[in-house]
Amino acid sequence: MHHRERRVWKRGRAALRALGLALAFLLIATMSWADGEVTITHYFGGDLGRAGLEEIFGSFKAETGITVVDSPIGHEDFKAGILVRAAGGNLPDVFSYWAGARTQFVVDAGSLGTIDDMWAERGLDDVVAKSVADGATMYNGDRYLVPFGYHYAGMFYNTKVMADAGVTEFPTDWDGFLALCENLKSQGITPIALGSMNRWPAQFWFDYLLLRTAGPEYRASLMAGEASYTDDEVQRAMQLWKDLVDAGYFAANANADDWTQASDKVSRGDAAMTLMGTWITGYWNGNGLMAGDDYDFFEFPMIDAGVPNAVVGPVDGWLIAANSENRANAEALVAFLASDPASQAKWAQVQGALSPNVNVDESTYTSVMLRALEAVGNADTFAFNYDLATTPPAAEYGLDMFARFMDDPANYSQHLADTEAGVRTVFDG
Amino acid sequence: MNQRALFWRVALLFLPLSVFGVFVVWPLLNTFYYSFTNWNGFNPNFQFVGLRNYAGVVTDRLFTNATLNTLIWTLLAIVLPTLGGLTLALMLDVRVPGANVFKSIFYLPICLAAVVVGQIWIWIYQPDWGLLNSAIGLFTGERPIFAWLAEPETALYSVIVAWSWQQMGLAMVIFLAGLTSIPPYLIEAAEIEGATRRQRIRHVVLALLRPATVVAVALSVINSLKAFDILFIMTGGGPFHSSDTLAMYMYSESFKKYRMGYGSSISVVLFLMTLSVVAVYFRQLRKLDELYD
Repeated sequence: MHHRERRVWKRGRAALRALGLALAFLLIATMSWADGEVTITHYFGGDLGRAGLEEIFGSFKAETGITVVDSPIGHEDFKAGILVRAAGGNLPDVFSYWAGARTQFVVDAGSLGTIDDMWAERGLDDVVAKSVADGATMYNGDRYLVPFGYHYAGMFYNTKVMADAGVTEFPTDWDGFLALCENLKSQGITPIALGSMNRWPAQFWFDYLLLRTAGPEYRASLMAGEASYTDDEVQRAMQLWKDLVDAGYFAANANADDWTQASDKVSRGDAAMTLMGTWITGYWNGNGLMAGDDYDFFEFPMIDAGVPNAVVGPVDGWLIAANSENRANAEALVAFLASDPASQAKWAQVQGALSPNVNVDESTYTSVMLRALEAVGNADTFAFNYDLATTPPAAEYGLDMFARFMDDPANYSQHLADTEAGVRTVFDG
Repeated sequence: MNQRALFWRVALLFLPLSVFGVFVVWPLLNTFYYSFTNWNGFNPNFQFVGLRNYAGVVTDRLFTNATLNTLIWTLLAIVLPTLGGLTLALMLDVRVPGANVFKSIFYLPICLAAVVVGQIWIWIYQPDWGLLNSAIGLFTGERPIFAWLAEPETALYSVIVAWSWQQMGLAMVIFLAGLTSIPPYLIEAAEIEGATRRQRIRHVVLALLRPATVVAVALSVINSLKAFDILFIMTGGGPFHSSDTLAMYMYSESFKKYRMGYGSSISVVLFLMTLSVVAVYFRQLRKLDELYD
């Protein structure tokens, strides 16, 4: 062998040895580090949400010494991304998720660990409001989800626009609502903004119109695949929605805007109101708007007498992966997130969420959020919004239908028939 | 071959072959397998359903729509950047002051990530304050509020324009390189023979640009077939599947409706389509090699 070749050969072997040692060192370092950490992924990727969570995770570390390794993902990307990770068995120890049919879907796949023992040991029954705990945490008879915050969808409006239009009283029934829209329109004000680019913001219209006419029981049967989208009940709700679009009450190009752009239209005064969840208050507060002074809300008006008063919204929670490697740390974290009043208060403030923690002081809330809390308290039922109430695959067909409806309201019967055909493939296999 | 030389060959090939095996071959085989199942993407319990997914594909109107869109996308994503790039190259292949600056400017978009290009064009297409509607308003006197990306009739074409804008610079550079290899005396000879500028371009320049055209078209085909990101950013296949290509539809079925088995069958169809295009391309390339050999 030539001298030069021998030298290259020796160098190559030395390089491989060094690489092997480096990998072994990295593995050992990672394993020892893992003792004091917990990994977490969530969809609170906005500036306010991230800043709030960083502070909360800091408090958790100060109390327990456990480091939270945080990797947030954008809201829309999270929906598919987390399921891909579940499929590969690569879930983080803890991840945020929406209570309802979405959590049920992951529970059925066996990707989650139960938290019954932790819930009992930490006494969370005394901490989490029963109204939230009953509907959001139990799946197939076991507890899986720890609620972190919940929201209420209402008609949020620009107070200055309404005041300038001479509106001093807000409608509680459908005729009053139509009169309000007509009044605004006659003064050259676009009554309603909707940003259905990502489809889901339109769901609150479908939810409330169906709940206020057919009632919560019928809606539950539709969400479970036991009723049909071609039923008269659904047709009537869509007809009411169509009447609003035909009357020119919605701002043009709803499918071109996302929910923040629609919210901006209201805050700028380009439209008077938008049907949205209470997270809009977090967004507006972050933009420097003042609750009560710059914006307020009224409840979605009742339509048919005798129908129970249902309110709509999502519950955000935390789940622990079935194969979590830091199970004890994960349980400590989710228990802290639900039970620490300061963290819950912080989250309610930055995110515009209502706290499921009964120990959170009401002074945490703005006047608008206090009224939202009151609206939830006065309701007969708290219903999950559409894409959390029906299974995720079925929801895809409905969400498509809402966007299609906003583009072509005249053919809503055909859209409903198409939706029913799609939904049947989900429920009937 | 001595032992050490063999060691180095194996050692150096091991990493790329492993990466190729893990990230290309294994998922490909898995996709074929899952296309015969009703797997929802993460539930370990699923059944073998034979050809049911493929039968579903045949009768699925959204699949037909996505296939049609894929063909439109591929065709226009070849024609527009190639023609645009050729036009720019012919315009800039002259010794005028500032030509190099313009070449750099037209090439710049290709350096941007598709996400950035998508976002720029989302702003351009924005109905209320976007550049396009404002420009139309300047000509017509009344500013339209047309939502280019939210209307099912225009969404796909609007994305293709954005895509072509980005890809045009690449084709331009290839054609500029091709133009430098054309001997000036051929053009001069044609001029002496009385050929007009149009005839010189058609019968001399374009004829001699054939190798460059093959490269530009081939790159456009390859880039258009793998284009997903810009469509994902700009429309996500919407509104309501109107701008779905097969790749986007496969993503939507697999990861939004959790029909991984069905999504896999769409992937297989897309794979076979791509394979046939690549086969044609290689055949043409071989013919060209033979021609120039």
